[in-house]
Amino acid sequence: MISPLTTTEMFCIGFVPISATVVTTWGLMAAMVGGAFLASRRLMLKPGSAQAFFELLFESVDSQIRDTMRVEPEPYRAFIGGLFVFIFVANWSSLIPGVEPPTAHLETDAALAFLVFLAVIFFGVRAGGLRGYLRTFASPSPVMIPLNFVESLTRAFSLLVRLFGNVMSGVFVIGIVLSLAGLLVPIPLMALDMLTGAVQAYIFAILAMVFIGGSIEAPTTNHPAEDAS
Amino acid sequence: MTFDWWTFGLQTINVLVLFWLLSRFFWRPVAGMIERRREQAQALLDDARAVRDAAAKALAEAKKRNAGFAEERELILQQARSEAAEAGRALLAQAEAEVAVLREQAAAARAKEHDEAEKAWSGRASRLAIEIAEKLVSRLDATAVREAFLQWLAEQIVALPSDARGKIVDGGGPLEITSAHVLTAEEQAHIHATIRAALGQAAGISTPEIVFRADAALIAGLELRTPHFVLNNSWRADLQRILAELQHD
Repeated sequence: MISPLTTTEMFCIGFVPISATVVTTWGLMAAMVGGAFLASRRLMLKPGSAQAFFELLFESVDSQIRDTMRVEPEPYRAFIGGLFVFIFVANWSSLIPGVEPPTAHLETDAALAFLVFLAVIFFGVRAGGLRGYLRTFASPSPVMIPLNFVESLTRAFSLLVRLFGNVMSGVFVIGIVLSLAGLLVPIPLMALDMLTGAVQAYIFAILAMVFIGGSIEAPTTNHPAEDAS
Repeated sequence: MTFDWWTFGLQTINVLVLFWLLSRFFWRPVAGMIERRREQAQALLDDARAVRDAAAKALAEAKKRNAGFAEERELILQQARSEAAEAGRALLAQAEAEVAVLREQAAAARAKEHDEAEKAWSGRASRLAIEIAEKLVSRLDATAVREAFLQWLAEQIVALPSDARGKIVDGGGPLEITSAHVLTAEEQAHIHATIRAALGQAAGISTPEIVFRADAALIAGLELRTPHFVLNNSWRADLQRILAELQHD
């Protein structure tokens, strides 16, 4: 069993080493983009079952954004929906024999958490300007500025650790059981791993929405005095 | 446990590219399709609303037209009723007039039939009376009967005013004695003498000429005809007088 804690280099492009995780991600990207391209070419006003499923996914993402962030979902749909779809597909890719999910590696989860960290800053600045975004660190009190600043780092780190821990542990457990018991025994654990993967994708997307929503909210709502000024 | 920064960087780029590609090939087309469906549904709703409004308008016009029809129908019915009543009255008047005419015609026909029947019965009664009289006369003594009638004629002449008797004498024409049977010469002479006596003329005085004629229709009797008047002295005259009195009654 290859440990998910190590990075396996497959080849190099110039001086850039390409790991197995990156290659797996490229394969998943090709599958998702290809499927999305085929699906988008067959969209009709009277949807079939596949189109109905995609529209259900679309409406679910929009509904979650609307309920969680209390804003129109269009500017955030691509980021939040992309996070959920990628993590979901990456987690479930462990069902394919020989494929190790990219989210079981620390670099992928770190990249996702880093993108959420940047997205919080980007959407916060775009919604309220740089000063508006910085004012969110002074919420509910300027005394909280250091804590809020640390929190912005730690919550991204918590995203990384949560996703990595759940997926990596699932891969580890299945690998160990598979090496010990062989056929059929790992199936319940694989089912549990599917559930864990779906739940982790949902949790990651929801937490990203919460963090972004917190950055685009007007911080003055908790400071009537600042509103008056 | 190691952390490969190259993998971290590549995965960051991969995820960003994936987000862009999904946005380009999935989220936007699906959003566009849902928006088109929403627009089409809205268009259908607008069309349905327009059709509903048009239907409501058409319904209102139909109701208005029906109300007009009802008024027009009521007007036509009233006109038809009045025309029918007028036509009925005219027909009734015409029928009454025709009935009156028919009644008059029936009354006239009935009166005519009554007159004709009365005439027929009178004729038959007259003929029956004549027949009866003829049968009765045939059983009587013809000489006695003729003598009796001669005496009655003489009495009638005597009862005449004197100027009337003078006109008999000087009438300027012959006297005509009509009897039911042809008279013999002796009978003619006897009648001549009796009439002369009734006229009051003495023997030797010229008397007007007397012409004797026979007429079976007299049944019995003698009738005197002058240029000025006639003395009916026969059963035919008596029967006609009786019949006239009966018919008069």
